[in-house]
Amino acid sequence: MLGAALAVARKDLKLALSGAQGLVQTVLLGLLLIFIMSLSREPGEMSPPLAAAAIFWLATAFGQILVFNFLYGLEEAEGARLGLLLSPAPTQSVWLGKAVAGWVLLFCCQLVFAPAAVAFLGQSVAGSVGLGLLVVAAVDWGLCALGSLLGALSVGRSSRESLLTVILFPLLVPALLAGIRLLETVISGRGLEAVGAWTGTVVAFDAVFTAAALILFPFLYTGEE
Amino acid sequence: MIRLCALAAAAVSILAQYAIWFYAPVEETMGEVQKIFYTHMPMAWWSLVSFVVVFVASILYLAKRRDVYARLAGAAAELGVLMSGLALATGMCWAKPIWGVWWTWDPRLTTTLVMWFVYAAYLLLRASDVGGQRKDTVLAVLGIVAFLDVPLVFISARYWRSIHPAVLGSQGGGMEPEMWLAMAANLVAMGLLWLALLAARTKQLAAGAAVTALLRHGASRN
Amino acid sequence: MGKEVYLFAANILVWVGLGCYVAFLATSQKRLERRLNRLEILNDDN
Repeated sequence: MLGAALAVARKDLKLALSGAQGLVQTVLLGLLLIFIMSLSREPGEMSPPLAAAAIFWLATAFGQILVFNFLYGLEEAEGARLGLLLSPAPTQSVWLGKAVAGWVLLFCCQLVFAPAAVAFLGQSVAGSVGLGLLVVAAVDWGLCALGSLLGALSVGRSSRESLLTVILFPLLVPALLAGIRLLETVISGRGLEAVGAWTGTVVAFDAVFTAAALILFPFLYTGEE
Repeated sequence: MIRLCALAAAAVSILAQYAIWFYAPVEETMGEVQKIFYTHMPMAWWSLVSFVVVFVASILYLAKRRDVYARLAGAAAELGVLMSGLALATGMCWAKPIWGVWWTWDPRLTTTLVMWFVYAAYLLLRASDVGGQRKDTVLAVLGIVAFLDVPLVFISARYWRSIHPAVLGSQGGGMEPEMWLAMAANLVAMGLLWLALLAARTKQLAAGAAVTALLRHGASRN
Repeated sequence: MGKEVYLFAANILVWVGLGCYVAFLATSQKRLERRLNRLEILNDDN
Protein backbone atom coordinates (compact mmCIF):
# COMPACT_ATOMS: atom_id res chain seq x y z
CA MET A 1 0.00 0.00 0.00
CA LEU A 2 2.79 2.42 0.88
CA GLY A 3 4.58 1.86 -2.41
CA ALA A 4 1.41 2.48 -4.40
CA ALA A 5 0.65 5.55 -2.30
CA LEU A 6 4.11 6.96 -2.95
CA ALA A 7 3.70 6.31 -6.66
CA VAL A 8 0.41 8.24 -6.66
CA ALA A 9 1.98 11.05 -4.67
CA ARG A 10 5.01 11.25 -6.98
CA LYS A 11 2.80 11.31 -10.08
CA ASP A 12 0.58 14.06 -8.62
CA LEU A 13 3.53 16.17 -7.53
CA LYS A 14 5.09 15.87 -10.97
CA LEU A 15 1.86 16.95 -12.63
CA ALA A 16 1.31 19.78 -10.17
CA LEU A 17 4.83 21.16 -10.42
CA SER A 18 5.27 20.75 -14.19
CA GLY A 19 2.02 22.48 -15.11
CA ALA A 20 2.32 24.63 -11.98
CA GLN A 21 -1.08 26.15 -12.69
CA GLY A 22 -2.73 24.69 -9.59
CA LEU A 23 0.05 25.73 -7.28
CA VAL A 24 0.36 29.26 -8.65
CA GLN A 25 -3.34 29.89 -8.19
CA THR A 26 -3.16 28.67 -4.59
CA VAL A 27 -0.16 30.84 -3.76
CA LEU A 28 -1.74 33.89 -5.38
CA LEU A 29 -5.01 33.45 -3.53
CA GLY A 30 -3.21 33.06 -0.22
CA LEU A 31 -1.05 36.13 -0.80
CA LEU A 32 -4.12 38.14 -1.75
CA LEU A 33 -5.90 37.05 1.42
CA ILE A 34 -2.94 38.01 3.59
CA PHE A 35 -2.64 41.37 1.82
CA ILE A 36 -6.35 42.14 2.17
CA MET A 37 -6.35 41.10 5.82
CA SER A 38 -3.47 43.49 6.44
CA LEU A 39 -6.02 46.26 5.85
CA SER A 40 -7.51 45.42 9.24
CA ARG A 41 -4.71 47.34 11.00
CA GLU A 42 -3.79 51.00 10.92
CA PRO A 43 -0.72 51.80 8.77
CA GLY A 44 2.44 51.50 10.81
CA GLU A 45 0.75 49.46 13.50
CA MET A 46 1.57 45.82 14.28
CA SER A 47 -1.11 43.17 14.06
CA PRO A 48 -1.32 41.13 17.25
CA PRO A 49 0.39 37.73 16.86
CA LEU A 50 -2.95 35.97 17.31
CA ALA A 51 -4.44 37.84 14.35
CA ALA A 52 -1.38 37.09 12.21
CA ALA A 53 -1.57 33.39 13.05
CA ALA A 54 -5.30 33.32 12.28
CA ILE A 55 -4.77 35.00 8.90
CA PHE A 56 -1.96 32.58 8.06
CA TRP A 57 -4.20 29.58 8.76
CA LEU A 58 -7.10 31.15 6.90
CA ALA A 59 -4.91 31.47 3.81
CA THR A 60 -3.83 27.86 4.32
CA ALA A 61 -7.42 26.62 4.62
CA PHE A 62 -8.46 28.30 1.38
CA GLY A 63 -5.32 27.05 -0.32
CA GLN A 64 -6.10 23.54 0.81
CA ILE A 65 -9.47 23.60 -0.95
CA LEU A 66 -7.81 24.54 -4.24
CA VAL A 67 -5.06 21.94 -3.78
CA PHE A 68 -7.44 19.05 -3.25
CA ASN A 69 -9.84 20.13 -5.95
CA PHE A 70 -6.84 20.16 -8.27
CA LEU A 71 -5.50 16.78 -7.10
CA TYR A 72 -8.84 15.00 -7.50
CA GLY A 73 -9.66 16.92 -10.64
CA LEU A 74 -6.62 15.31 -12.26
CA GLU A 75 -8.24 11.88 -12.12
CA GLU A 76 -11.46 12.97 -13.83
CA ALA A 77 -9.84 13.41 -17.24
CA GLU A 78 -9.78 10.40 -19.59
CA GLY A 79 -11.28 8.11 -16.96
CA ALA A 80 -8.07 8.04 -14.94
CA ARG A 81 -10.10 7.35 -11.82
CA LEU A 82 -11.25 4.00 -13.19
CA GLY A 83 -7.66 3.13 -13.98
CA LEU A 84 -6.60 3.92 -10.42
CA LEU A 85 -9.45 1.86 -9.00
CA LEU A 86 -8.75 -1.10 -11.27
CA SER A 87 -5.08 -1.24 -10.32
CA PRO A 88 -4.34 -3.99 -7.78
CA ALA A 89 -3.35 -1.45 -5.09
CA PRO A 90 -5.85 -0.94 -2.24
CA THR A 91 -8.10 2.11 -2.61
CA GLN A 92 -6.68 3.60 0.56
CA SER A 93 -3.36 4.10 -1.17
CA VAL A 94 -5.05 6.67 -3.41
CA TRP A 95 -6.16 8.55 -0.32
CA LEU A 96 -2.70 8.33 1.22
CA GLY A 97 -0.97 9.34 -1.99
CA LYS A 98 -3.21 12.36 -2.46
CA ALA A 99 -2.85 13.33 1.19
CA VAL A 100 0.95 13.19 0.97
CA ALA A 101 1.00 15.12 -2.31
CA GLY A 102 -1.40 17.71 -0.87
CA TRP A 103 0.70 17.95 2.26
CA VAL A 104 3.85 18.71 0.26
CA LEU A 105 2.06 21.22 -1.96
CA LEU A 106 0.43 22.95 1.00
CA PHE A 107 3.76 23.17 2.78
CA CYS A 108 5.32 24.76 -0.31
CA CYS A 109 2.53 27.35 -0.34
CA GLN A 110 3.05 28.06 3.34
CA LEU A 111 6.72 28.71 2.72
CA VAL A 112 5.49 31.68 0.68
CA PHE A 113 2.69 32.65 3.08
CA ALA A 114 4.93 32.79 6.15
CA PRO A 115 7.29 35.55 4.97
CA ALA A 116 4.30 37.36 3.47
CA ALA A 117 2.53 37.27 6.83
CA VAL A 118 5.64 38.53 8.56
CA ALA A 119 6.04 41.36 6.06
CA PHE A 120 2.45 42.49 5.54
CA LEU A 121 1.30 42.03 9.11
CA GLY A 122 4.41 43.47 10.72
CA GLN A 123 5.44 40.47 12.77
CA SER A 124 8.76 39.60 14.37
CA VAL A 125 9.27 35.97 15.30
CA ALA A 126 10.36 35.61 18.91
CA GLY A 127 10.04 31.83 19.28
CA SER A 128 12.03 29.11 17.56
CA VAL A 129 11.49 28.62 13.82
CA GLY A 130 12.09 24.86 14.09
CA LEU A 131 9.18 24.48 16.50
CA GLY A 132 7.06 26.57 14.15
CA LEU A 133 7.83 24.28 11.20
CA LEU A 134 7.00 21.24 13.32
CA VAL A 135 3.67 22.76 14.39
CA VAL A 136 2.75 23.68 10.84
CA ALA A 137 3.69 20.21 9.56
CA ALA A 138 1.63 18.45 12.25
CA VAL A 139 -1.46 20.59 11.75
CA ASP A 140 -1.09 20.29 7.97
CA TRP A 141 -1.26 16.53 8.22
CA GLY A 142 -4.65 16.77 9.94
CA LEU A 143 -5.90 19.21 7.31
CA CYS A 144 -4.66 16.98 4.49
CA ALA A 145 -6.06 13.75 5.98
CA LEU A 146 -9.52 15.28 6.08
CA GLY A 147 -9.05 17.24 2.87
CA SER A 148 -8.03 14.13 0.96
CA LEU A 149 -11.04 12.23 2.29
CA LEU A 150 -13.57 14.94 1.49
CA GLY A 151 -11.80 15.96 -1.71
CA ALA A 152 -13.16 12.71 -3.07
CA LEU A 153 -16.63 14.30 -2.66
CA SER A 154 -15.99 16.50 -5.64
CA VAL A 155 -15.42 13.65 -8.08
CA GLY A 156 -17.92 12.51 -10.66
CA ARG A 157 -20.13 14.20 -13.15
CA SER A 158 -22.17 16.35 -10.83
CA SER A 159 -19.54 17.91 -8.63
CA ARG A 160 -19.87 21.34 -7.15
CA GLU A 161 -16.54 22.35 -5.77
CA SER A 162 -17.81 25.32 -3.80
CA LEU A 163 -19.70 22.93 -1.55
CA LEU A 164 -16.40 21.55 -0.31
CA THR A 165 -15.56 24.79 1.51
CA VAL A 166 -18.85 24.85 3.38
CA ILE A 167 -18.47 21.33 4.66
CA LEU A 168 -14.70 21.29 5.21
CA PHE A 169 -14.20 24.54 7.11
CA PRO A 170 -16.36 23.80 10.15
CA LEU A 171 -14.88 20.32 10.40
CA LEU A 172 -11.39 21.81 10.44
CA VAL A 173 -12.16 24.08 13.39
CA PRO A 174 -10.30 22.02 16.05
CA ALA A 175 -7.12 21.78 13.95
CA LEU A 176 -7.29 25.45 13.02
CA LEU A 177 -7.79 26.57 16.63
CA ALA A 178 -4.81 24.47 17.70
CA GLY A 179 -2.73 25.75 14.78
CA ILE A 180 -3.56 29.37 15.52
CA ARG A 181 -2.74 29.08 19.23
CA LEU A 182 0.50 27.17 18.65
CA LEU A 183 1.65 29.55 15.95
CA GLU A 184 0.85 32.50 18.20
CA THR A 185 3.07 30.91 20.83
CA VAL A 186 5.87 30.56 18.30
CA ILE A 187 5.54 34.13 17.05
CA SER A 188 5.24 35.82 20.43
CA GLY A 189 7.35 33.38 22.46
CA ARG A 190 4.72 33.50 25.22
CA GLY A 191 2.13 31.05 26.50
CA LEU A 192 4.38 28.00 26.39
CA GLU A 193 2.48 26.31 29.24
CA ALA A 194 -0.49 25.53 26.99
CA VAL A 195 1.60 23.91 24.26
CA GLY A 196 1.17 20.40 25.69
CA ALA A 197 -2.63 20.55 25.64
CA TRP A 198 -2.74 21.93 22.11
CA THR A 199 -0.24 19.38 20.85
CA GLY A 200 -2.51 16.68 22.25
CA THR A 201 -5.44 18.17 20.34
CA VAL A 202 -3.48 18.19 17.09
CA VAL A 203 -2.29 14.60 17.55
CA ALA A 204 -5.84 13.46 18.38
CA PHE A 205 -7.20 15.26 15.31
CA ASP A 206 -4.55 13.71 13.06
CA ALA A 207 -5.11 10.23 14.48
CA VAL A 208 -8.93 10.31 14.40
CA PHE A 209 -9.19 11.50 10.82
CA THR A 210 -6.36 9.32 9.52
CA ALA A 211 -8.13 6.28 10.96
CA ALA A 212 -11.55 7.44 9.75
CA ALA A 213 -10.20 8.08 6.25
CA LEU A 214 -8.57 4.65 6.05
CA ILE A 215 -11.92 3.03 6.84
CA LEU A 216 -14.26 5.35 4.95
CA PHE A 217 -12.33 6.25 1.80
CA PRO A 218 -13.15 3.04 -0.14
CA PHE A 219 -16.87 3.83 0.24
CA LEU A 220 -16.37 7.30 -1.14
CA TYR A 221 -13.98 6.69 -4.01
CA THR A 222 -15.71 4.35 -6.42
CA GLY A 223 -16.17 3.98 -10.14
CA GLU A 224 -19.76 5.23 -10.17
CA GLU A 225 -20.50 8.56 -11.79
CA MET B 1 -47.83 5.47 15.96
CA ILE B 2 -47.00 8.94 14.63
CA ARG B 3 -50.48 10.18 15.48
CA LEU B 4 -50.25 8.75 18.98
CA CYS B 5 -46.85 10.34 19.53
CA ALA B 6 -48.07 13.69 18.26
CA LEU B 7 -51.16 13.62 20.49
CA ALA B 8 -49.09 12.67 23.52
CA ALA B 9 -46.61 15.42 22.65
CA ALA B 10 -49.43 17.98 22.48
CA ALA B 11 -50.84 16.89 25.83
CA VAL B 12 -47.47 16.88 27.60
CA SER B 13 -46.52 20.18 25.96
CA ILE B 14 -49.54 21.89 27.47
CA LEU B 15 -48.54 20.49 30.84
CA ALA B 16 -44.95 21.56 30.31
CA GLN B 17 -46.00 25.09 29.37
CA TYR B 18 -48.11 25.26 32.51
CA ALA B 19 -45.08 24.08 34.48
CA ILE B 20 -42.90 26.80 32.99
CA TRP B 21 -45.25 29.70 33.59
CA PHE B 22 -47.00 28.78 36.83
CA TYR B 23 -45.58 25.72 38.55
CA ALA B 24 -41.80 26.20 38.55
CA PRO B 25 -40.51 28.54 41.27
CA VAL B 26 -38.72 31.75 40.31
CA GLU B 27 -34.99 31.40 40.78
CA GLU B 28 -33.54 33.87 43.28
CA THR B 29 -30.51 35.35 41.56
CA MET B 30 -31.56 35.21 37.92
CA GLY B 31 -35.29 35.76 38.29
CA GLU B 32 -37.77 34.94 35.54
CA VAL B 33 -35.04 34.65 32.92
CA GLN B 34 -33.88 31.36 34.40
CA LYS B 35 -37.08 29.81 33.04
CA ILE B 36 -35.64 30.00 29.53
CA PHE B 37 -33.62 27.03 30.70
CA TYR B 38 -36.74 24.85 30.46
CA THR B 39 -37.11 25.49 26.73
CA HIS B 40 -33.39 25.72 26.05
CA MET B 41 -32.30 22.44 27.62
CA PRO B 42 -34.69 20.10 25.73
CA MET B 43 -33.64 21.72 22.45
CA ALA B 44 -29.94 21.18 23.16
CA TRP B 45 -30.58 17.66 24.41
CA TRP B 46 -32.70 16.42 21.53
CA SER B 47 -30.49 18.06 18.92
CA LEU B 48 -27.57 16.07 20.29
CA VAL B 49 -29.70 12.90 20.19
CA SER B 50 -30.54 13.73 16.55
CA PHE B 51 -26.86 13.91 15.69
CA VAL B 52 -26.24 10.58 17.39
CA VAL B 53 -29.07 9.14 15.27
CA VAL B 54 -27.43 10.54 12.12
CA PHE B 55 -24.15 8.89 13.14
CA VAL B 56 -25.66 5.49 13.91
CA ALA B 57 -27.93 5.50 10.85
CA SER B 58 -24.94 6.43 8.65
CA ILE B 59 -22.91 3.50 9.95
CA LEU B 60 -25.87 1.19 9.44
CA TYR B 61 -26.32 2.48 5.90
CA LEU B 62 -22.70 1.78 5.00
CA ALA B 63 -22.95 -1.70 6.54
CA LYS B 64 -26.37 -2.78 5.26
CA ARG B 65 -27.03 -0.46 2.28
CA ARG B 66 -30.71 -0.08 3.03
CA ASP B 67 -32.36 3.16 1.94
CA VAL B 68 -34.36 3.47 5.12
CA TYR B 69 -31.19 4.30 7.08
CA ALA B 70 -30.24 7.06 4.64
CA ARG B 71 -33.71 8.58 5.01
CA LEU B 72 -33.59 8.28 8.80
CA ALA B 73 -30.23 10.07 8.82
CA GLY B 74 -31.65 12.82 6.60
CA ALA B 75 -34.70 13.35 8.78
CA ALA B 76 -32.63 13.33 11.96
CA ALA B 77 -30.17 15.84 10.50
CA GLU B 78 -33.03 18.21 9.65
CA LEU B 79 -34.39 18.00 13.18
CA GLY B 80 -30.90 18.36 14.63
CA VAL B 81 -30.19 21.54 12.69
CA LEU B 82 -33.59 22.97 13.61
CA MET B 83 -33.26 22.17 17.29
CA SER B 84 -29.62 23.19 17.70
CA GLY B 85 -30.50 26.44 15.95
CA LEU B 86 -33.31 26.99 18.44
CA ALA B 87 -31.02 26.01 21.31
CA LEU B 88 -28.56 28.67 20.15
CA ALA B 89 -31.31 31.27 19.80
CA THR B 90 -32.78 30.58 23.24
CA GLY B 91 -29.28 30.43 24.69
CA MET B 92 -28.64 33.92 23.34
CA CYS B 93 -31.90 35.14 24.87
CA TRP B 94 -30.60 33.82 28.18
CA ALA B 95 -27.05 35.12 27.85
CA LYS B 96 -28.03 38.72 27.08
CA PRO B 97 -29.78 39.54 30.38
CA ILE B 98 -27.52 37.31 32.53
CA TRP B 99 -24.04 37.82 31.08
CA GLY B 100 -24.77 41.10 29.29
CA VAL B 101 -23.60 39.78 25.91
CA TRP B 102 -25.35 37.83 23.17
CA TRP B 103 -22.42 35.54 22.59
CA THR B 104 -19.46 34.30 24.56
CA TRP B 105 -16.71 31.78 23.91
CA ASP B 106 -18.20 28.98 25.96
CA PRO B 107 -17.22 25.46 24.84
CA ARG B 108 -20.83 24.32 24.72
CA LEU B 109 -21.97 27.32 22.71
CA THR B 110 -19.06 27.01 20.30
CA THR B 111 -19.54 23.28 19.87
CA THR B 112 -23.24 23.75 19.19
CA LEU B 113 -22.53 26.48 16.66
CA VAL B 114 -19.89 24.43 14.83
CA MET B 115 -22.22 21.42 14.80
CA TRP B 116 -24.95 23.63 13.42
CA PHE B 117 -22.62 24.71 10.60
CA VAL B 118 -21.53 21.15 9.84
CA TYR B 119 -25.01 19.70 9.71
CA ALA B 120 -26.41 22.68 7.82
CA ALA B 121 -23.75 21.96 5.19
CA TYR B 122 -24.79 18.30 5.33
CA LEU B 123 -28.37 19.32 4.53
CA LEU B 124 -27.13 21.57 1.74
CA LEU B 125 -25.27 18.62 0.23
CA ARG B 126 -28.36 16.48 0.67
CA ALA B 127 -30.44 18.97 -1.29
CA SER B 128 -27.82 19.22 -4.05
CA ASP B 129 -26.93 16.50 -6.52
CA VAL B 130 -23.47 15.85 -5.10
CA GLY B 131 -22.00 12.46 -5.82
CA GLY B 132 -24.69 11.47 -8.34
CA GLN B 133 -25.56 7.83 -7.76
CA ARG B 134 -23.29 7.71 -4.74
CA LYS B 135 -25.12 10.51 -2.95
CA ASP B 136 -26.40 8.43 -0.05
CA THR B 137 -22.97 6.88 0.48
CA VAL B 138 -21.26 10.25 0.39
CA LEU B 139 -23.73 11.62 2.92
CA ALA B 140 -23.30 8.60 5.18
CA VAL B 141 -19.53 9.13 5.21
CA LEU B 142 -20.10 12.77 6.00
CA GLY B 143 -22.51 11.90 8.81
CA ILE B 144 -19.83 9.75 10.44
CA VAL B 145 -17.00 12.26 9.97
CA ALA B 146 -19.15 15.09 11.32
CA PHE B 147 -19.91 13.24 14.52
CA LEU B 148 -16.26 12.27 15.05
CA ASP B 149 -15.47 15.97 14.97
CA VAL B 150 -17.79 16.89 17.85
CA PRO B 151 -15.54 15.86 20.81
CA LEU B 152 -12.51 17.45 19.15
CA VAL B 153 -14.37 20.73 18.70
CA PHE B 154 -15.47 20.63 22.32
CA ILE B 155 -11.96 20.00 23.65
CA SER B 156 -10.33 22.67 21.51
CA ALA B 157 -13.02 25.20 22.35
CA ARG B 158 -12.41 24.55 26.03
CA TYR B 159 -8.66 25.08 25.72
CA TRP B 160 -9.19 28.21 23.66
CA ARG B 161 -10.64 29.98 26.62
CA SER B 162 -8.86 28.69 29.68
CA ILE B 163 -11.39 30.21 32.11
CA HIS B 164 -14.22 27.76 31.74
CA PRO B 165 -17.46 29.39 32.86
CA ALA B 166 -19.17 26.57 34.71
CA VAL B 167 -22.58 28.22 34.46
CA LEU B 168 -24.61 25.19 33.61
CA GLY B 169 -22.64 22.95 35.93
CA SER B 170 -23.25 25.03 39.04
CA GLN B 171 -26.91 25.40 38.18
CA GLY B 172 -27.62 21.67 38.23
CA GLY B 173 -26.63 21.39 41.86
CA GLY B 174 -28.97 24.03 43.23
CA MET B 175 -32.21 23.00 41.54
CA GLU B 176 -35.34 22.48 43.55
CA PRO B 177 -37.57 19.42 43.04
CA GLU B 178 -40.24 21.52 41.30
CA MET B 179 -37.60 22.71 38.87
CA TRP B 180 -36.54 19.16 38.11
CA LEU B 181 -40.17 18.22 37.48
CA ALA B 182 -40.75 21.16 35.14
CA MET B 183 -37.50 20.30 33.38
CA ALA B 184 -38.50 16.64 32.98
CA ALA B 185 -41.94 17.60 31.64
CA ASN B 186 -40.39 19.83 29.01
CA LEU B 187 -37.82 17.22 28.11
CA VAL B 188 -40.47 14.54 27.64
CA ALA B 189 -42.77 16.86 25.68
CA MET B 190 -40.01 17.78 23.23
CA GLY B 191 -38.89 14.17 23.06
CA LEU B 192 -42.35 13.00 22.00
CA LEU B 193 -42.62 15.81 19.48
CA TRP B 194 -39.13 14.95 18.19
CA LEU B 195 -40.07 11.30 17.77
CA ALA B 196 -43.30 12.16 15.96
CA LEU B 197 -41.57 14.58 13.59
CA LEU B 198 -38.71 12.15 12.95
CA ALA B 199 -41.06 9.29 12.12
CA ALA B 200 -43.29 11.50 9.96
CA ARG B 201 -40.38 12.96 8.00
CA THR B 202 -38.76 9.53 7.46
CA LYS B 203 -42.06 8.17 6.18
CA GLN B 204 -42.54 11.20 3.94
CA LEU B 205 -39.08 10.82 2.44
CA ALA B 206 -39.81 7.15 1.73
CA ALA B 207 -43.10 8.07 0.05
CA GLY B 208 -41.32 10.73 -2.03
CA ALA B 209 -38.71 8.23 -3.17
CA ALA B 210 -41.43 5.72 -4.07
CA VAL B 211 -43.33 8.29 -6.15
CA THR B 212 -40.15 9.34 -7.92
CA ALA B 213 -39.37 5.71 -8.74
CA LEU B 214 -42.91 5.13 -10.05
CA LEU B 215 -42.80 8.27 -12.19
CA ARG B 216 -39.49 7.22 -13.69
CA HIS B 217 -40.84 3.74 -14.32
CA GLY B 218 -43.97 5.16 -15.92
CA ALA B 219 -41.94 7.50 -18.11
CA SER B 220 -39.68 4.72 -19.31
CA ARG B 221 -42.65 2.49 -20.11
CA ASN B 222 -44.49 5.03 -22.26
CA MET C 1 -38.34 46.68 29.47
CA GLY C 2 -38.25 43.90 32.03
CA LYS C 3 -36.19 40.80 31.79
CA GLU C 4 -39.30 38.64 31.25
CA VAL C 5 -39.27 39.84 27.65
CA TYR C 6 -36.37 37.50 27.02
CA LEU C 7 -38.36 34.59 28.42
CA PHE C 8 -41.31 35.39 26.16
CA ALA C 9 -39.00 35.83 23.18
CA ALA C 10 -37.28 32.48 23.77
CA ASN C 11 -40.55 30.63 24.12
CA ILE C 12 -42.03 32.25 21.03
CA LEU C 13 -38.88 31.53 19.05
CA VAL C 14 -39.04 27.84 19.88
CA TRP C 15 -42.65 27.43 18.89
CA VAL C 16 -42.29 29.52 15.74
CA GLY C 17 -39.30 27.41 14.76
CA LEU C 18 -41.12 24.15 15.32
CA GLY C 19 -44.18 25.56 13.55
CA CYS C 20 -42.09 26.45 10.53
CA TYR C 21 -40.77 22.90 10.33
CA VAL C 22 -44.29 21.47 10.55
CA ALA C 23 -45.37 23.88 7.81
CA PHE C 24 -42.44 22.69 5.72
CA LEU C 25 -43.55 19.08 6.25
CA ALA C 26 -47.09 20.03 5.22
CA THR C 27 -45.99 21.70 1.98
CA SER C 28 -43.78 18.75 1.06
CA GLN C 29 -46.74 16.48 1.71
CA LYS C 30 -48.90 18.63 -0.61
CA ARG C 31 -46.28 18.44 -3.31
CA LEU C 32 -46.11 14.69 -2.89
CA GLU C 33 -49.87 14.39 -3.29
CA ARG C 34 -49.78 16.49 -6.45
CA ARG C 35 -47.13 14.22 -7.92
CA LEU C 36 -49.16 11.17 -6.95
CA ASN C 37 -52.19 12.61 -8.76
CA ARG C 38 -50.12 13.17 -11.86
CA LEU C 39 -48.97 9.57 -11.63
CA GLU C 40 -52.59 8.37 -11.48
CA ILE C 41 -53.48 10.41 -14.55
CA LEU C 42 -50.50 8.92 -16.32
CA ASN C 43 -51.69 5.43 -15.44
CA ASP C 44 -55.28 6.13 -16.59
CA ASP C 45 -53.98 6.99 -20.04
CA ASN C 46 -52.61 3.52 -20.53
